[in-house]
Amino acid sequence: MEEKISFFKRPAIQTLLASVICAVVGIILGYIALYIINSEHAADSMKALLVNFFKFRVVKGPLLMKNFGSFLVKSVPIILCAEAILFAYKAGLFNIGVAGQYTVGIIASIYCSLALGWSWPLCLLAAILAGAFWGFLSGCFKAFFNVNEVIAGIMLNWIGLYICNIVLGRPECMNQSKSETYDLAANNPDALLPGFMQEFFGNNKYISIAVPLTIIVAVIILIVLNKTTLGYELKATGHNKDAAKYAGMNAKRNIILTLVISGAIAGMAASTIYLTGIENFKIASSVPGMGFNGIAVAFLGGLNPIGAIIAGLFVEYISLGGQYVDYNYYSPEMADLIISIIIYLCGFVLFFRSILSRPGRVKVNANAEPDDTATKAEEKEV
Amino acid sequence: MKKKLLSVLLVAAMVATMFVGCGSSASDSATDDAAKAETGDTQEASSDYRIAMITDSGDITDMSFNQTTYEASKAFAEANGADFQYYKPTEDSNEARIASFENAVTDGYNVIVVPGYLFAAMIAEVAEDYPDVTIIALDCSEFDFTDNGMEKLPENVCSFTYHEELAGYMAGYAAVKEGYKKLGFLGGMAVPAVIRYGFGFVQGCNDAAVELGNASDVEVNYVYGGQFYGDDAITAQMDTWYSKGTEVVFACGGGIYTSACEAASKVNGKVIGVDSDQSGTIADQYGKDDLCITSAMKGLAATVNTTLTDLFAGDWSKHAGKIENLGIVSDTDLEANYVQLPTDTWSMENFTTDDYKELVGKLNSGEVKVSDSTDAMPKTEIKVNEFDNIH
Amino acid sequence: MEDYVIEMLNITKEFPGIIANDDITLQLKRGEIHALLGENGAGKSTLMSVLFGLYTPEKGVIKKDGKEVKINNPNDATDLGIGMVHQHFMLVDIFTVLDNIILGSEPSKFGVLTKKEAREKVLALSNKYNLKVDPDALIEDITVGMQQRVEILKMLYRDNDILIFDEPTAVLTPQEIDELMKIMKDLAAEGKSILFITHKLNEIMQVADRCSILRKGKYIGTVDVANTSKEELSSMMVGRDVKFAVDKTKANPGQEVLKVENVCVKSKIHSNDAVHDVSFNVRAGEIVCIAGIDGNGQTEFVGALTGLDDISGGKITLCGKDITKKSIRYKNTHGMSHVPEDRHKHGLVLDYTLEENMILQRYFEPDFQKCGMIRKGEMRKYSDKLAAAFDVRSGQGAKTKTRSMSGGNQQKAIVAREMDRAHELLVAVQPTRGLDVGAIEYIHKEIVKERDNGKAILLVSLELDEVMNLSDRILVMYEGEIVGEVDPKTTTLQELGLYMSGAKRDNGKEAK
Repeated sequence: MEEKISFFKRPAIQTLLASVICAVVGIILGYIALYIINSEHAADSMKALLVNFFKFRVVKGPLLMKNFGSFLVKSVPIILCAEAILFAYKAGLFNIGVAGQYTVGIIASIYCSLALGWSWPLCLLAAILAGAFWGFLSGCFKAFFNVNEVIAGIMLNWIGLYICNIVLGRPECMNQSKSETYDLAANNPDALLPGFMQEFFGNNKYISIAVPLTIIVAVIILIVLNKTTLGYELKATGHNKDAAKYAGMNAKRNIILTLVISGAIAGMAASTIYLTGIENFKIASSVPGMGFNGIAVAFLGGLNPIGAIIAGLFVEYISLGGQYVDYNYYSPEMADLIISIIIYLCGFVLFFRSILSRPGRVKVNANAEPDDTATKAEEKEV
Repeated sequence: MKKKLLSVLLVAAMVATMFVGCGSSASDSATDDAAKAETGDTQEASSDYRIAMITDSGDITDMSFNQTTYEASKAFAEANGADFQYYKPTEDSNEARIASFENAVTDGYNVIVVPGYLFAAMIAEVAEDYPDVTIIALDCSEFDFTDNGMEKLPENVCSFTYHEELAGYMAGYAAVKEGYKKLGFLGGMAVPAVIRYGFGFVQGCNDAAVELGNASDVEVNYVYGGQFYGDDAITAQMDTWYSKGTEVVFACGGGIYTSACEAASKVNGKVIGVDSDQSGTIADQYGKDDLCITSAMKGLAATVNTTLTDLFAGDWSKHAGKIENLGIVSDTDLEANYVQLPTDTWSMENFTTDDYKELVGKLNSGEVKVSDSTDAMPKTEIKVNEFDNIH
Repeated sequence: MEDYVIEMLNITKEFPGIIANDDITLQLKRGEIHALLGENGAGKSTLMSVLFGLYTPEKGVIKKDGKEVKINNPNDATDLGIGMVHQHFMLVDIFTVLDNIILGSEPSKFGVLTKKEAREKVLALSNKYNLKVDPDALIEDITVGMQQRVEILKMLYRDNDILIFDEPTAVLTPQEIDELMKIMKDLAAEGKSILFITHKLNEIMQVADRCSILRKGKYIGTVDVANTSKEELSSMMVGRDVKFAVDKTKANPGQEVLKVENVCVKSKIHSNDAVHDVSFNVRAGEIVCIAGIDGNGQTEFVGALTGLDDISGGKITLCGKDITKKSIRYKNTHGMSHVPEDRHKHGLVLDYTLEENMILQRYFEPDFQKCGMIRKGEMRKYSDKLAAAFDVRSGQGAKTKTRSMSGGNQQKAIVAREMDRAHELLVAVQPTRGLDVGAIEYIHKEIVKERDNGKAILLVSLELDEVMNLSDRILVMYEGEIVGEVDPKTTTLQELGLYMSGAKRDNGKEAK
C-alpha cells in the first residue's frame, strides 16, 4: 500500500515542503515589498539580508565565528519557546501564555542572580520553576474553571509583565541611571551560564551551555512525545480528549501537567539569554515578542521538536539580517517590516500544507468512511 | 526515518539559501571595492575617511539626539565628499552595538560617530582591537568609561560631554523671567544628561524667581517618563499638569516632546525644546508657531562638525584620547557656545536676547555657578513637586 | 419506451484516490417507489449529491422527462421539481409548522408576507395526502413522526414531484414506520415518483416497486422487488450470502455481575432527569438489551454507568463492588469493557495508529511500558495478535492510522480490544451502527461467543432486528425510565413498538 503513496504525498515530505515554500514565499514577498519601496536597491538589500553575517567571511580573524556564536545564542530562546508551544500543542493546548512564562522566567533569572546573588544552577532552576508555576496557573484555570487557556494565557502574560517591571525595576536589579538591569558579568559572574566552545566561536563570551542544552531539551521532548506513556497520554488527549477520557486518562491532571512542562521550557528559555549577559532587561511596555515568534517557529518547524530547531535558526537568521540592509535606501523600520513578512508567513505552514494535500487525500481503503469533517460538510451542503 | 529526512532536507535548504547568498555576494564585494576605488579617485583631494554613525536605542527620526548627530555627520560627509552610512543595532544591547560596529568596519567605514552614554561599553570592548578606526563618542563621560573598566581612552577615541545643567539653567531662568510661574519638567529616562538638564532647569527657575522676589509663587512639576518617546500614559500625565495650571513644560528626552506638545496644544500651553532648536519642527507638526518658546540646546552638531573638520585636517591630536567637557566658552560669540538658547528664533518678550547675553556672561565668568551634581534634587526656595516615573 | 421521469446515465464521480460512483445508471419511472440500496460508502450519498448539483460528475448525463438537463446547484434541482427529506430534519424548532413549510419560498405581495393563501394550500395538501399536522404547532412540540410529515409537506408545497427519502425510518417507531410506508404509497398513487434510500431490506420488500443496488461505488443492478427476496437483495448488496438469524443456544445465566439500583442522571438540556430511577441487573452468561428510540436516556445511562457522565443518584455494583463513584480507570481495570456508541468520538484516537489504539486503556500496564517508556515491540505484537484473531484489516497493518480504516474495521478493532481486556461485563452500545451486513454478522457472532464464555453483556441498541435477534432479555427505555421488560422469544415487534413509544408500560402504569 505504501508504495502507492507518491513521494510528494507523504506527510513528512509535505510538512517539509510546506515549510520550505513558506520560507521561500516569504522571501519573495519581502523582495517585492523592497522592490516597491525602492526598486533600484531591492536586490542588493535582499542579498545583504540573506548573506547576513556571512559577510564577515572576507574579514580576517574570528569575526565570522563570533557572529555565528551570537546568532546561536540568540536563536536559543526562540527555539525553546517554540518547543514549549509545540509540546502543549501536541497535547491539544494552545499555550499563548509562553510569552508570560518567559517573562516570569526573566524575573527569576535576573532577581536570583542580581538581588540574591545565587549561582547559575540555582538561577536556571528558579527560572524553570517560575515558568512552570505560571503554566500551572493557566493549567488550573483551564482544568478547574474551564477558562480557555488562550484567555488565561493572555491575562497572565500581562500580569507577568507588570510584575516583572515592578520587581526588576527595584534598585537591587535595575541600574537606575541606565534604565536597565545591572551587567551580570560585572556583578555576579557566578550566575553566568558556563561557557561552551567559546574559543571555537571567536572568543564569543556569550556562547554557553545553553546551546547544547537546547538540543538536549529538543531531543528529550521528542522522546517524551513519541516513546513514553506520558507522551502517549498527552497526545491522545490532544487528538481526542473524549477518547482520552474514555480510556480513563485524567484530563485535568494532563492539562495542568502539559502547561507546567510547557511553562518550564519557556522559563528556561528566558534564562538561556538573560544568564549569558548578552542582553540586560529594560522596563518594557509590552509582552516580549519571543513567545509569539515562537508560535511561528513551532509551525514552521512542522510541530516537530527537531524541526523547531531548524526553523528557529532560520527565523533568527532572517531577524539578524535586517541590520545588514543599506539604511540609506531603506529605513530600519522597513527592514523590520520585511523580516516580519517573512517570519509571519511561516505561520501559513498549515495553509500551504492543506493546499499540498488537497489534490489527493491519502485514502487507503476505497470503502473507508469519510472523516467526521467531511461528513459534516456534506450534511451542511445537502 | 521520515522525520530524519525532514530535518536533513531543512538543513540542506537553509545551507543552500546561504550559499546562494554567499555565491552572489562574492562578486558583490568586488563591485564594492571597485566603487570604493572610484570614490577614492574622485575625492582624492579630501581623504580616505569614510564616516558611519550608529544609533543608540532611538532612531534617526527622534527629532533629537540621534537625529542631530545623524544630520550633522551626514552634512559634513556630503560637504567633504566622504561616504556616509548609518547603522541601527538589532537590539538595545551592548552585544548588538558591537555587532553594528563590526558591521560598519567590515563595510569599510573607519570613522564611527556614536551618540550616547550607552556606547561606552562598546568602546571599551572594541577600541583597542581596531586602532585604525576613529571613534567619536558623544555624551560618554569619564564615569561611563571607568564603569566599563576603561581608565584611559586610547588614541583613536575621543568623547564629549556637555554642561547640560547650564542649558537647563538658562531655559528655566528665561522662562521664569519671561513671567511663567507654573512650570514642568518632563524627562526621558533618568540618565545623567537628562538629570543634569532637569536639575539645571530647577536651579534656573529658582534663581530667577528669587531675583524677581516671587519664589513663593513659582512651582515646578518634575517627572521622568522612563522612555525616550511619548505615549498615551505620558500624554495623560501632561494633560493633568496643563489642566491644573502648568503653563510651560520642558520636554527633555528624545521623542517624548510629542506628549507634551499634544497636551499643550489642547489648552494653549507652552513647551521648551531640548538638544536642538525644536521651535521649527514643533510649529510644523502642531500648526502653532508659538507652542515652543525656546529650546535648551547643546551643540552636538557643532561638536560633530568641529571634530570631523579637525580629523580631516589632520588635527586629530587635539582630541585623541580625550574626554572634553563642553559648555560656555564665550560671552560675546553666543553661537560658539556648546550649550545655548536659540537666538535666531527668539520669541520671548520679557526676557530679551540682551538679558540672555548678560546671563551667558555671568555664567562664563563664574559669577553664577550651577551645580552639575546628579545626586539629589537641588535645594530651592520655589516649590518642586516630584512625581514618580511614568513608566 | 418506458416513461422515465429522471434518468441518471453512466454517472462517474471520482474523488482523489477513490471512485465514489463508477458508471452508475439510475432510472426512475413516473409514479414508482424506487429503492436505492447499498452499504455505507457504496456511493448512495454521492449519487444523490450529483442529482442535487452539489457535485459535478466527470462523466454521465442527467435527463428529466427524456431531455438532458444540467444541474449545477441545489436551486436547479428545486426548479426541476426534485425535493428531499433528509435523515436529519432541516426544521427550525421555534417556528410553527406552517412557517417551516413556507420557509424559503415565502408568499408575499409587495414585500409583505401573505400567509393566508399558504395556509390554505398546506391544508389542502395535508388533506389530500392524509398528512395530519397542526399548522400552528411549534416544531419543538410535535413528535418526530409529525416532523417528518412536515418535511414531506414542505416538498409537496413546492410542487415537487420527485421525492427523495434519505433513510427516513432510522428515527421512527415501528408504528410510525408503518404510517410512513402508507403515506409513501399514497404519494406514489397520486403520481409522485419516489426515490427511497435505505439499507433496511424489510422496508424495501414492503413498499418499493423496484430496487437499484450499489456496491463500493459500482452499479450492481436493478431488480423488480416483486420477483426477488431479501436474501437475493442482501447478497447483491454485500457481494455474498448473508445469514440474518443469529445462531445461539439458550442462555445459562450465572451469578449477578452488574446491579443497577435507582440510577438517576441529570439532563444537560432540560431540568428533568435524563435517566430516572433505573434499576436492573445483568448476570454472567446472558445478553441483556436496552431497547428504545434514540434520545430516551440510553446514552446518558451508559455515560453514568461507564463514568463518562456524572451520576446524580442511585448505586451501581459490579461483581459485588460498589463502583458508583469510581473513576473510569478503576472501572476499566476492574471488570468493565465498553464498546462506545460513537467510535470516532470515544472509541478511537483517529490520528493514532491501530497498534496505539489497541492499548488505549492498557498502555500503563507493565506489559506495555517499562519505566515510563512504551514497549513498542510488545505493542506491535499485541496489536498483530488481536488483528489476526478478530480479522481487523488495515492498509499498513499495525501502523495504519485508524482514520484511514473503514468503519467496519474500526469497529472490529474496538470490539477486539474490549473483548480481549480482562473483564466480566461488556457494555456494547450500538455495536453494529453503520456497518455492512457482513461486519454485523461477525460482531453478533463474537458477542454470542462472549456470552457463552460466561461474560455478562449489556447491549444498547436502536436496531430492532438486532435487539430481537441477539438478546436474552429486553428492557425498554422510554423518557429515561425502564418501562418494561420483555422476552424476545415471546414478544412481537408491535408490542416492543408500543413500549418504545410510551403507549404501554409495565407495573400497571398504563399509557396516558
